[in-house]
Amino acid sequence: MSGRYLSRKLLQAIVTIVAIVLLNFVLFRMMPGSPDRILLKNPNLDPSVIEAVRAKWGLDKPLFPDQLVAFVGSTFTGDLGYSFKFRGQAVTDVIADRVWPTVLLVGLGEIVSIIVGLAIGAYTGWRRGGTADRLGNGVSLILYSMPYFVIGMPLIVIFAAGLHWFPTSGMGSIGGGNKSLVDGLIDLVRHLALPLTTVSLGLIGGYSILMRSAIIETRNEDYITTARAKGLPDGRVLRAHAFPNALLPMVTLIAINLGYVIAGAITAEVVFSWPGLGTLTVSALTSRDYPILQGIFLLLAGSVVIANLLADIAYGFLDPRVRT
Amino acid sequence: MRSSLRRRGAGLLALLGLTGGLVFTGVAGPVAASDPVVFRAGTTQDFDASNPYQTALVSGYEAFQLTYDLMVGFDDNAQPAPGFAASWDRTPDAVTFHIRPGMKWSDGQPATAQDACFSWQVALDAIKADSNIGLGYLDSGLKDAGVTKVECPDDTTLIASTTDQSDRVLQAYLPIIPKHIYGKDDYKKLGDEKFDAPLVGTGPYTLAEWKTGQFMRFERNKNYWGKQGFADEVVLQVFSSSDTMTQALKSGDLEYAHGVNADQLKQLKTEENIQTVVGSANGWTQLAFNSYGTGTGKTIKGGGPSTKAMLDPAFRDALGYAVDKPTLVDRVLGGFGDVGTTIVPPVLGQWHVEPTTPRTFNIDLAKQKLDAAGYPLDSTGNRLDKEGKPIVLRLYMPDSDENYPKAAEFIKDWYGQLGVQVQTQVYDSDTLVDIELPPEGGGKAKYDISLWGWAGNPDPNGLLEIFRCDEIGSSSDSNWCSKDYDGLYDQESKLAGDARKAVLAQMQNMVYDQAVYDILYYDANLDAYRTDKFAGWRNQPPNGTPIFSYGDEQYTLLTDATAVPTPGPTVAGATAAPGATEAPSTGGTSGSGNNTTLLIVIVIVVLVVLGGWWYMRRSRAPKVEEE
Repeated sequence: MSGRYLSRKLLQAIVTIVAIVLLNFVLFRMMPGSPDRILLKNPNLDPSVIEAVRAKWGLDKPLFPDQLVAFVGSTFTGDLGYSFKFRGQAVTDVIADRVWPTVLLVGLGEIVSIIVGLAIGAYTGWRRGGTADRLGNGVSLILYSMPYFVIGMPLIVIFAAGLHWFPTSGMGSIGGGNKSLVDGLIDLVRHLALPLTTVSLGLIGGYSILMRSAIIETRNEDYITTARAKGLPDGRVLRAHAFPNALLPMVTLIAINLGYVIAGAITAEVVFSWPGLGTLTVSALTSRDYPILQGIFLLLAGSVVIANLLADIAYGFLDPRVRT
Repeated sequence: MRSSLRRRGAGLLALLGLTGGLVFTGVAGPVAASDPVVFRAGTTQDFDASNPYQTALVSGYEAFQLTYDLMVGFDDNAQPAPGFAASWDRTPDAVTFHIRPGMKWSDGQPATAQDACFSWQVALDAIKADSNIGLGYLDSGLKDAGVTKVECPDDTTLIASTTDQSDRVLQAYLPIIPKHIYGKDDYKKLGDEKFDAPLVGTGPYTLAEWKTGQFMRFERNKNYWGKQGFADEVVLQVFSSSDTMTQALKSGDLEYAHGVNADQLKQLKTEENIQTVVGSANGWTQLAFNSYGTGTGKTIKGGGPSTKAMLDPAFRDALGYAVDKPTLVDRVLGGFGDVGTTIVPPVLGQWHVEPTTPRTFNIDLAKQKLDAAGYPLDSTGNRLDKEGKPIVLRLYMPDSDENYPKAAEFIKDWYGQLGVQVQTQVYDSDTLVDIELPPEGGGKAKYDISLWGWAGNPDPNGLLEIFRCDEIGSSSDSNWCSKDYDGLYDQESKLAGDARKAVLAQMQNMVYDQAVYDILYYDANLDAYRTDKFAGWRNQPPNGTPIFSYGDEQYTLLTDATAVPTPGPTVAGATAAPGATEAPSTGGTSGSGNNTTLLIVIVIVVLVVLGGWWYMRRSRAPKVEEE
């Protein structure tokens, strides 16, 4: 891979991130209303205190250039300010607490759904028109079109409230003293089971459908005919020849989806009260918590840009034609 | 290589089986006798702060009341009861509080009158500086109570000088915080303090851990001066969805669910070992009519109400006859709530009065009143104002309550039958405040009716002051001004007992007769709790809810349900679920000792292990070369 290709991609990523930072500033301030206005609903609050709060939140100065300069300067030094809602809490602290639960849930969900989705897609594509195809493709389409809460709520009703096999919500049992490492891990797995199943089921459909069509395209390729002519068993042709070649278009989808791991699965997190970035986003939106929203947006956009950069670099390695 | 992979796969399967077994066993495992007893209550309202002065939410109040005592607490009827002070004496110009000797903070330090003096003095400092501590919800209690000075001549006495002899000083919602921790803070710094857990308090449970967006965990304060609670820990858990919270209550993950909706409450009523409770809320949902200019004669260029009819009490009064409130309670609230009338909610029974001249639903009468007041219909059926312009009212509401749009649709229909057109619009709360603010608050008050709600304190003044002239530009959402009302407010603030109630009755009737607001309904708090782990539930006040009410006493009343028969409903307002009075099941949160579950777990583990073993054997068999 040429240095020129790499530096061009890096420059593009940096420019995109700078644009995101600027957009981040403008976007949330274009929303109507202001987070300090709700303070006026308190009949006891002295106007001087409201002004002090506005000054503390940096809302007392003009948007341009004062607020913009302060925002850009602090963002690039890693200071994202303080949450309006969670008073006294730094944005970086609040977000840091929520990143790993989301990465765990959605990251594992991606891994499970990639493995299962690709397997189902490959098999159904290979058996195109058969019972397995009709069944697999039908199930994939249903899962693809189902929102997370439609998948999640029945799981809660059956396996948590009904059978008591798993907890209904949260990431761990709260209180009750310290747990050993093993007990803590078991507790985490129990809490993770239903949300992970929900996220995985929700993602499987997309991978399966795309993989199925990719496999169908490869079925008529010359190298498949050659493999068959060599007398290879059907399963071997699928695994060794069709599947690897059908994987290439999946790289883009996987790369994009991995970028969105940070964004989380908002509805799945809400349904299971999973303490990730999804629930934080909803909470910040409803309370007009600009600093938190900006932090999440920056993190999300940054992760997508980086995931795409990595995908571009990977493509450069995989396909020599894109290196120039 | 391939068989090696298969062996690994089989090993993984076996591992998964064992892990699954452990996970399921964890579910079915009995609760050990030595395990701490944890009381878990769920709420859909997130916590905003651990600093009492920075919270604006019910959940935040619930949290700080567990850790800190107020000077005077609340009894079962939400009336004054011993808190940080064991007793008090009232003289015409002062209240002497007697702090119980030997009391300790949760860290073992002595808790004395000096702590109380510090907590109250810092609030007085803010009041004297025309400022607030934090968000200003707490320190204003002393201002409203007319407290001018505090003195602590010794460690068990605090003397608060007051401008009058009202008893509101006994309901000042101001926590007593430890001077040995915050003593160096002035009112500005105290408002910004982080109050990081673990906190030191004199309440029955102290904050041990706060995970934003997840939970607050409290540990029992062994130095608490009152009855020690049965639970070793209290967890207030945040749920993003009330559906999930409801399922958590049903499954036993929770002991208490605060703030379910009407459908969920009806569903929970049929559940075994769950009792539902419909508590009267200290608040209401209202139509606030924008009557900017009433009492002041002011107008807003390019803003204000869309028609001068909004300033006419006769017009607003007529509209009141077109609202069928029992239908709203039935159809919007699912039957859980009360028809609204005056501005002091019935839950404050001591102060609430019903209107002398009540309005009842009668569309024909409403039409007659509009005709008589000079608002005729035109040929197309539209009601005209006195300028001959069709009346089209802008009714706005926030997105914070799913019931608002439902209520708005009924209002639109009923007003429509009078020939008064209504345009409804939902906004987020911040935007709506912006729209409603008059020039005094930097806005243009471009609306006619605001459909929103208010919640009050144990003392009615918190709600009554919204209608003062000096709240225009701040909390007033009617922009109505009456010097007579303000005079009555100042008068009642200095009175107590029946004398005060008489003035409050005048104020309630004045606002009702002037139709400043049309209070649609008094909301209800819909809660539910399990009866198989904890007993001793008691509503506070009797028409309220067991917790998320006033003070912290209710947490200490809870007892072990496995040791005593489960009580039936104790008060009016509570509705018992079928089976709620049956003998309780054993403790534990997930059906401990459930043999069926255990059996299923064992079968799954055995099947997975056998499957793995068979797969490994198969993978060791000689392979036929495929290529």
